[in-house]
Amino acid sequence: MHISEGVLSPPVLVAGAALTAAGVAMGLKKMDNESIPRVAVLTAAFFVASLIRVPLGPSAVHLVLNGLLGIVLGWAAFPAILVGLALQALLFQFGGLTTLGVNTFIMAGPAILCYYLFGRSLTSKHPGLVTAMAFSSGFLAILLSSLLLALCLIFTGESFLQAAKVLVLAHLPVMFLEGLIVAFCLAFLMKVKPELLGVTHAAG
Amino acid sequence: MLLDSRHPFTRGATLVINALLMITFLSLASQVWAHKVNVFAWVEGDMVFVEGYYPGGKKAQNSPVEVYNSAGVKLLEGRTNEKGEFSFKIPAKEDLRIVLTAGVAHKNDFIITAAELGLSESLSDAPVTKISEKVAAPSSATVDMGQLEVMIDQALDRKLKPVIQLIRNTRKEGPGVTEIIGGIGYILGLFGLLMYFKSRKDRERGQRSAEYGQAVII
Repeated sequence: MHISEGVLSPPVLVAGAALTAAGVAMGLKKMDNESIPRVAVLTAAFFVASLIRVPLGPSAVHLVLNGLLGIVLGWAAFPAILVGLALQALLFQFGGLTTLGVNTFIMAGPAILCYYLFGRSLTSKHPGLVTAMAFSSGFLAILLSSLLLALCLIFTGESFLQAAKVLVLAHLPVMFLEGLIVAFCLAFLMKVKPELLGVTHAAG
Repeated sequence: MLLDSRHPFTRGATLVINALLMITFLSLASQVWAHKVNVFAWVEGDMVFVEGYYPGGKKAQNSPVEVYNSAGVKLLEGRTNEKGEFSFKIPAKEDLRIVLTAGVAHKNDFIITAAELGLSESLSDAPVTKISEKVAAPSSATVDMGQLEVMIDQALDRKLKPVIQLIRNTRKEGPGVTEIIGGIGYILGLFGLLMYFKSRKDRERGQRSAEYGQAVII
């Protein structure tokens, strides 16, 4: 998921940075004092998630957790993912500082979409629905991120269909895994700490 | 149903999350991560060896390698073998930029300087040859300079091999615990700072509205 430096052309980098800047501004505006600890915890989770690899043939892919961040944080997923990626770039040399904007948008954009599609279900009293929506959020976020990544690579001369095929296939196991993780995480949080999800009604 | 703590499914979910956390911590050392590719290159004799690998040491197999000179002209290209290695004869004694592309969106480069490549050439530079000729002249068994050079090169390659191996291995290590814990610390600190500023602003606003309220009452 992390595009290295020197792969993309400047216009793509600038466009990604601009979209990310807008998203981060929106996220910071929507963040209030009560949600900051929640954002911090999920940023930490995102930061560490990339270290969990999913072995796959000759290569390996890693967890992203952008679906989880999207469904729980909403617009605050933008600043969260930006901070997580910046630290990954600085400390692990994953991705790079020039590709920070593009990489953030690739992961945070689908997260926001998942928030609008599935976020409302968190207040549902029907646990089955919550689980289904959580799974979809984890699954869809990775799928869309792979497609966005393929889209960015068009400008480097790769054919979209081919890049998309490779990326989606490579991330297929991650999609299922993330779907399961988001579903389990939400079920767990709903039970022990519903206030972390911003849900005020008592669990059960 | 799912939220009922007595339900076995929920207990199962908790178990899975705990297991995942355990796996994370256990698997932190020596792993493969597909978000970065490393390149390392070294000179042996008149050959340059290139090695591509992911953090944790897994080889970047069958990856395209391109070699550019300092002016950015592509000199040659090839692919790494199943050991993640690629070698080529030194094409020119100048700075070489070796670019390795691994899969989609992953790319890295390594620069081999002219000094590294030209190590053997400096030996046969004119002044050195003259001095050695003077020294060699009185002795009956004259040593061929070319032969001497090859011998020194071979000996150096042999002696340097463990050092290069050490450098290769050190570079293969993935992110350490220090970086991970440090990163989490940064995140908590950053958001703590944000919270501090936000709450200060809120308090100021609260004070101002309180004063305004008093003024209205008076």
